[in-house]
Amino acid sequence: MALFETRGLTKRFLGVTAVDGVDLAVEAGELVSLIGPNGSGKTTLFNCVTGYLAPDGGRVLFRGQDVTGAAPHRIARLGVGRTFQLVSVFPRLSALENLLTFLQQHQEERFFGRLLRAPGVRRLEAAAVERARSLLDSVGLGARERAPAGTLSYGQRKLLAFAAALMPDPELLLLDEPAAAVNPTMIEQMKAQIRALHRAGKTVLLVEHNMDVVMDISQRVVVLDHGQKIAEGPPEAVRRDPKVIEAYFGR
Amino acid sequence: MRGVRWVAGGAALIAVPWLVAAVLPGQQRYILHVLVFTALFGALALSYDLVVGHVGSLSLAHPAFFGVGAYGAALLATEARWPFAAALAAGLVLAGLAALVVGVPMFRLTEHSFAMGTLGLALVTQIVATNWVDFTRGPLCVTGIPKPQVGDFRITTLPGFYWMGLATLGLVALLYHGLTTFRLGRAFHAVRDNETLASSAAIDPLRYRMLAFTIAGALAGGVGALYASYVGVLCPGELSVSLSVNLLVMLFLGGVGSLRGVVVGAAAFTALPEVLRMAPTWRMVIYGLLLLVIVIRVPDGLEGVLQRRTGRRRGPAPGA
Repeated sequence: MALFETRGLTKRFLGVTAVDGVDLAVEAGELVSLIGPNGSGKTTLFNCVTGYLAPDGGRVLFRGQDVTGAAPHRIARLGVGRTFQLVSVFPRLSALENLLTFLQQHQEERFFGRLLRAPGVRRLEAAAVERARSLLDSVGLGARERAPAGTLSYGQRKLLAFAAALMPDPELLLLDEPAAAVNPTMIEQMKAQIRALHRAGKTVLLVEHNMDVVMDISQRVVVLDHGQKIAEGPPEAVRRDPKVIEAYFGR
Repeated sequence: MRGVRWVAGGAALIAVPWLVAAVLPGQQRYILHVLVFTALFGALALSYDLVVGHVGSLSLAHPAFFGVGAYGAALLATEARWPFAAALAAGLVLAGLAALVVGVPMFRLTEHSFAMGTLGLALVTQIVATNWVDFTRGPLCVTGIPKPQVGDFRITTLPGFYWMGLATLGLVALLYHGLTTFRLGRAFHAVRDNETLASSAAIDPLRYRMLAFTIAGALAGGVGALYASYVGVLCPGELSVSLSVNLLVMLFLGGVGSLRGVVVGAAAFTALPEVLRMAPTWRMVIYGLLLLVIVIRVPDGLEGVLQRRTGRRRGPAPGA
């Protein structure tokens, strides 16, 4: 059974079919890239499977469980992490607090335990701080843990958002253009991070425009055009596929 | 050292009635009256800031919850002869329930429409208080509201009310601190800063907004009940929209999202017009100008000035 699956997923905006009956299956431990020209429906698909948009048709399955149309926080709670195309952090929280925010809901949600800072909650918090510090170090932001996230540079915020998505150790991670608008050094760093995740056995679905990144790290590539899946396979085969070349460069 | 300062500060606050009596015996009643108002409005402003400053929703419905608590407790105490503690608890619970019930539809509205919707709620509440004469006595006001009494312990003197106000402010401040720091505070601030991102962190934005809104409503109702019992008379005018405006001025004057800032703002807002009575004709003009200067010169409120003076800026300023 695939870890994550969409069956006939469809989303329309005012008569435009942005995602058109897409079947997609990702096995546990796979690193899959989703590519396609601008407007081909990649981000819409991401938003449908993470609960930000309600699909008009089809189903979304996570570990065989139907999560179609569930609210974003519920899907996140199941172990699906995601990042956003436009860099997204909590600007007035510190870098460390940004990361802590991503773990606490997975640890406990008892109101009085939190209000009264029960010893059990304090222990969870201490463990969370430790994990957050090691993740900040791994993306090179260890020295900036107290800085408000809004004061970090664009690239640093992107790394922070990436590290934050890793906080709850998600089973499936959806990355929306992690290498966009990032300098070449940072791209290498991002690639290394994603590879490390893959080696650690995590499942990653990546939307990316940077073909070097896609061809370099993906096991499998899925191509969307006008909301439809037009090709799927290993990077080398997809790169040579005439339908893909046509979608990108025209006939 | 911090512990010593807290004890000393607390002792000084408790000793205020005697200090005032020693220094300004002729003015004691007046000064204590202003201080009771300061404490009660400080508590009310803190409850309001839970919604405005910490989950970032500009609610204008606070007078409605204040009114539900004040009218609920006052009518139960006068008409149904409920004891004070029961009437106070009822005021708190009724206002909390009101917030819970109206919160769900209100939070379906975003930003400006949320402000408009909650403003409508405040207006409707005042209209009900004014026109449902059989129930609220309308413009004739609820009169003869009994003073606080629990068993044989009664609050009748001004120093007594001062300590009641101080205790109320202290309790609300403690709850405010517990709610707005640590994990709960982080979840509130995440919802305020970026709702979309918060839900990707498994935080349910509606749940946290409702939590803040309901607790704020209940606290406003409790303060309303105490206010009614202190003043003894409750009129529909107390629930007017100008209460929202006053609360907003306290918040922005002091520093949105900051415990110390909001208390300082409430104190400045309540005390300043009184101090300016020395220049009766120009009082409100001077007052308005002062507010303008503060808002233009220090947009993060008096809390920003305090932080810069002491040179301590701990973490990001949680201002609006």
